[in-house]
Order: sequence, then structure tokens, then C-alpha cells
Amino acid sequence: MITIQSNALTKKFGDFTAVNGVRFAVNEGEIFGLLGPNGAGKTTTLRMLAGLLTPTSGEGFIAGHSMQQEPLKARRELGFLTGDMDLYRRLNPAEMLTYFGNLYQVPKKELKPRVEQLIDWFGITPFRDRYCEKLSTGQKQRTSIARTLVHNPKVVVLDEPTTGLDIMASEFVLQFIRKIAKEQGKTVIFSTHHLNEVKRLCDRVGIIHQSNLVALGTIEEVKAQTGQPTLTKAFFDLVNVEESIIM
Amino acid sequence: MRWSIINTIYKKELTEVLRDKRTVYLVILLPFFLYPVMFAVIGLLSSSQMEKINQESVKILVNEDVKTSPLYAILQQDSTLSVEEGAFDPNGLDSTKNTIGLEIQDIQRDSNDQAQAFNVNIYYNSTKDVTESRANRINQQIEALNQQLLAQRLEERNLQSDFLTPIRVNKVDLAPPAAQMGKLIGRFLPMILLFFIFTGMIYIAIDITAGEKERQTLQTLFVSPIKVPEIITGKFLAVFTVGVVSAVMNLLSLILAFFIQVKLMGGGDGLSSMSLSVSSQGAFWLVLLILLSTVFIGGITLAVVVLANSYKESQSYVTPLMMLLLLPAIFATQPGVELTAQTALIPIVNIFLAMGEIFIGDFDPKLMALVSAMALIYAIIALVLASIIFANENVVTGQKVSMKSLFSRS
Repeated sequence: MITIQSNALTKKFGDFTAVNGVRFAVNEGEIFGLLGPNGAGKTTTLRMLAGLLTPTSGEGFIAGHSMQQEPLKARRELGFLTGDMDLYRRLNPAEMLTYFGNLYQVPKKELKPRVEQLIDWFGITPFRDRYCEKLSTGQKQRTSIARTLVHNPKVVVLDEPTTGLDIMASEFVLQFIRKIAKEQGKTVIFSTHHLNEVKRLCDRVGIIHQSNLVALGTIEEVKAQTGQPTLTKAFFDLVNVEESIIM
Repeated sequence: MRWSIINTIYKKELTEVLRDKRTVYLVILLPFFLYPVMFAVIGLLSSSQMEKINQESVKILVNEDVKTSPLYAILQQDSTLSVEEGAFDPNGLDSTKNTIGLEIQDIQRDSNDQAQAFNVNIYYNSTKDVTESRANRINQQIEALNQQLLAQRLEERNLQSDFLTPIRVNKVDLAPPAAQMGKLIGRFLPMILLFFIFTGMIYIAIDITAGEKERQTLQTLFVSPIKVPEIITGKFLAVFTVGVVSAVMNLLSLILAFFIQVKLMGGGDGLSSMSLSVSSQGAFWLVLLILLSTVFIGGITLAVVVLANSYKESQSYVTPLMMLLLLPAIFATQPGVELTAQTALIPIVNIFLAMGEIFIGDFDPKLMALVSAMALIYAIIALVLASIIFANENVVTGQKVSMKSLFSRS
């Protein structure tokens, strides 16, 4: 069953086309990686899917709901996280989760046990009553991820979720992605620069280059499409960069 | 719009505001204590300073003619004056040593006139508080002596005091004391009140818009299943609450400070003459206008500061916003500007004029209703504008917001 669909999403800023007719679909329980160099259009695509940007043309669907036609229904099924999202400074993690639970209109009876469950899952208990401004980067990341899941969404969209994190916090995020997709059946789409993360986690990938989706499929399919033996070589081949220039 | 969502946002914003000790001190507690303390300190300092000035000794140089005049006794009675006789050069007086010069010159009189007359010159430096104050005191004493001598001369000639004032003018103000006070207060109180509302709201408005953009928490809100008008209403209500609380605290503080000042000045009687009365109907319109102007100022403030991407950038919008309030206020206090069906249509000006009329106690309920309706319309326009700006995707994603992007669809 398809739970994320990018239906020819296009975004123009004046004369500049940031995303040009990007089409892909992601199935339930699948981990989909969106790859591309800086400025390729990954973040703009994810922001259109999350409803933060209005497409110039095309349509995005989350769990069967059009983000443009039924934004509230689509957002209710969506958990969105980017590396640069912060937390409210003067709320503690428990209040933060409760606040967003209320915004997502999680029924009161379900919200309290859900918040406690997330606090337990993500090891937030030791700092649950501490204001977010006093949390470490790793503690903030755990709280942010828990916030993404407070309404039990079917789809989780992560825009460069490991950017700026140390190795421990990054590992935590990667384990979280695998867990929610493979154990809880959620659909995950995430953008990254790190090919290792993609190799480790993704069922399928899409490579965006200069606003266009230039490859789509499993890692093996992308390698076959480019005739390259590794994903790294396939990636450089697709973005027209010789690996030797970079290495 | 769903009120449960608005209430959730409103409560969260207020919780964060109340947990920010700096904001609570600056917006609520500081104003409450600032004015009474400030007024009391200024009152005490100025009264002790006056006492010091009055007690300080001053050297007074007098010419020979003074010694034979009745002025000499007056100068001798003042223990703070050290009188030195002899000729002196007025330009050579050393003002740093608290020195005053006083000389008497005879006036050439008509031979038929038997009355003696003098010119008295007092030389002092007006930039020195002590010499200026002492020169004034000597002047007052000479004036009293003058009146005394005049009365004696009139009596000697069997003349009444009316002889010198053929026409006596009595101006009778028919306005009740409360209305006179109302006119005075009505000129500056609305300005102070709206200024307090603005200063109370501005930093909260910045914090929950530009501040949130800077801290990158706004996107989290926009990916939630909530509508932009719900976000802006929740945030606006928090700003509105702080604005009203700030205005009330400032006003109470100012009233308290005023009473303390009057007490310090020894004016038990002063209070009754400064009484201000507002009828219950006037109070109703006053509260309504304060609330509506808070909505308007809050809406405009939110709409403007949300354009900024950082706390620092938003600071540069504070002065233009202040001018937006100040210029209509100055216009409204100009002589001859009154509340009419035309001026009732001008935003801010109408509020100032309407409040002024309420304080005087002479207002037309129809005009009050018109002003309220216009204030409501402007408040709604401000909120809609804030909502449009807030919904702009450049605001959502923390990008620079251009005027072109506000009114065009991508």
C-alpha cells in the first residue's frame, strides 16, 4: 500500500526551478532515502510533502490524503523532523510532548500513557522535568524524535536528521529509523548526504540532481541503471562528478 | 477555528512568558515598582536638595546706598546671607563662590512728587541653583516690602487699593473641577496608556514570532494539523493578555506613584482638587476602547515583527512602530482637534480623542459607538494582515520575507 506519493511536485522561486516534476511513491513500512548534493532540491521536496511549501504544480499525498487539498488530514498522519528544528526553551520534554499531543488532538485518555511510553522508549526519564534549553544535543534529539511520534503517525519524514549530531546521537537516530519502520510498520522517508546511512537502512532510494529525480529504485537497481559497481560510484556518475576529483 | 487548539497554543505561550523571569520582571513587576520608587526617590532627593540650597550661605555685595534703605534690615535678617558693603563691579562677581550683588540707584523724580523711589539691581548667575534661588528669595522679600510701602502711601493719601487697579478682572471657569482635571489628564493619559500597552506587548510579540523563527521552532508548529488563523489567534491572545496586564500594572503603579508624590509634596488638600470622575457609562466606553486598541496594536505589532527573521532584526522595527502610535497621538493633542464623525474614522487618533472626551465627561454615545466600530474594524484588518503574513511560506521556512512575496502566489 502506497503511503507517500510525490506526484510531479514542482517548485519555482521566481525564475529558479528548485524542484522539477519529481515523481515517486513509497510503500507502507518502507525506508526511502532521498540523496543528492547540496541545493539539489531534497529539502524543498520534503517541505512540499510536509505542507511547509506550496508546490507550483503537482501534488503530494500522505497516507492517501492530498497535502494540498486536505492538509489537516494529511498532517495528522505525518511526523516531520529536520536537523534544524529546535524545542521550546521553557517547556520540559514531558510538557513538549503533551503540547504537541494536544495540537494533534490525541484523545486525553490516550495522551498521558502515550507520553509516558515515549519517555520510557527514548530514555527521557532522567531529564523529563528539565527545561529544553538546558538539554544536551543528544537529549534534544531524543525529545524531538519522541515529539515526531506523539500522535502515532503512519508516515515519518526526516530531513537530514543526523546533520550536526555526534556519532552517538547519529547512531541513535539511525536505530530509531529502522525500529519504527521494521517493528512498527511506519513509512520513513529521509534525506541525507551520507551514503553509508543509505546503504545500511534504505529499501529504496531516489537521487535528486539539479532539481530533477535522476534515479529511483533499490540500491541494486540504481547500480544497474548506471552500470557502476557501488552506490557511491553510481551517485557520482549520476551527478556528473568524477569520483577522483573528490577522493 | 477550533478553540481547543487556540487555547492550547495560548496556554503554552503564556506558560513560556511566565517562566521567563526577565520578561516577568521587565513587563510586569518592574513597572509596578518603578514609578512609586522613582517618584519617591525623586521627591525625596529634590526636597532634600531644596533644603540644602536654602541653607547654603551666600555672600551678598551691596553698595553704600543699601545700608540706609529698608532693604538692609531684610538682608540682615537672613542668616544665610553674609552682607559685605562697598562698591563692586557686577561683571567681576565670582559666581563660583555663591556671590550675589545688590545695588540701589535713586530715580530722578519730579520735584512735585514727594515719594521716594529706587531702582534695585540684583546681580546673580542663573546657571547656579544657589544664587538663582537666593536672588528669587530676595526678590520676593523686596516685593513684599514694596506692597507694604505702597499700602502705607495710599493710606497717607486717603486712597483705597482700588485706586491702582481701576479694572479688576475675574475669570470664572464654569467647567466642574473634574472636567478641568479630565481635560488635563485626557491629553496625556491615553498616550501613556497606549504606550504601556505597546511596550508590554512588543517584546512578547517579538519572542513568539521572530524569536521562534530564530530558534527554528516555528516549522514544528506548521507541520501540525492546525490552521494558520488558529496559530495567530492563540499567539495573539497571549500578546493581548500581556498587553492588558502590563497596562493595568503600569497604570496602577502610576496612580500609586502620583499619590506618593502628592503626599511627599505635603499636599493632603491637593488630592481632592485633583479628583477625576468618570461615569459608569464612560468607564464602559473607556474599557471597551482600551481593549479594542490593545487588539489593534497587538495585531499590527504581530504583523510587523513576524517579518523579521531574528530577535535582533525585529528590534529595528520597534521605533517605526512607536512612531506609528506617537504621530497620531501628537496630532490628537493639537488645539482645535476634536472628535467628529470624520476624525472618528482615523485609526489611533479616534481612540485618543474618544478617551479625552470620556475623561472630560462630555461625550456623545453615538460617536463612541462609531469609534468603537472603527477600532474593531481596524483591529480585524490588523489581525487578518498578521494572519496573511504569518501564512507566507517564507515566514514558515524562516526565509527573508519580501513585500512581493506577501501578495503573490508562487
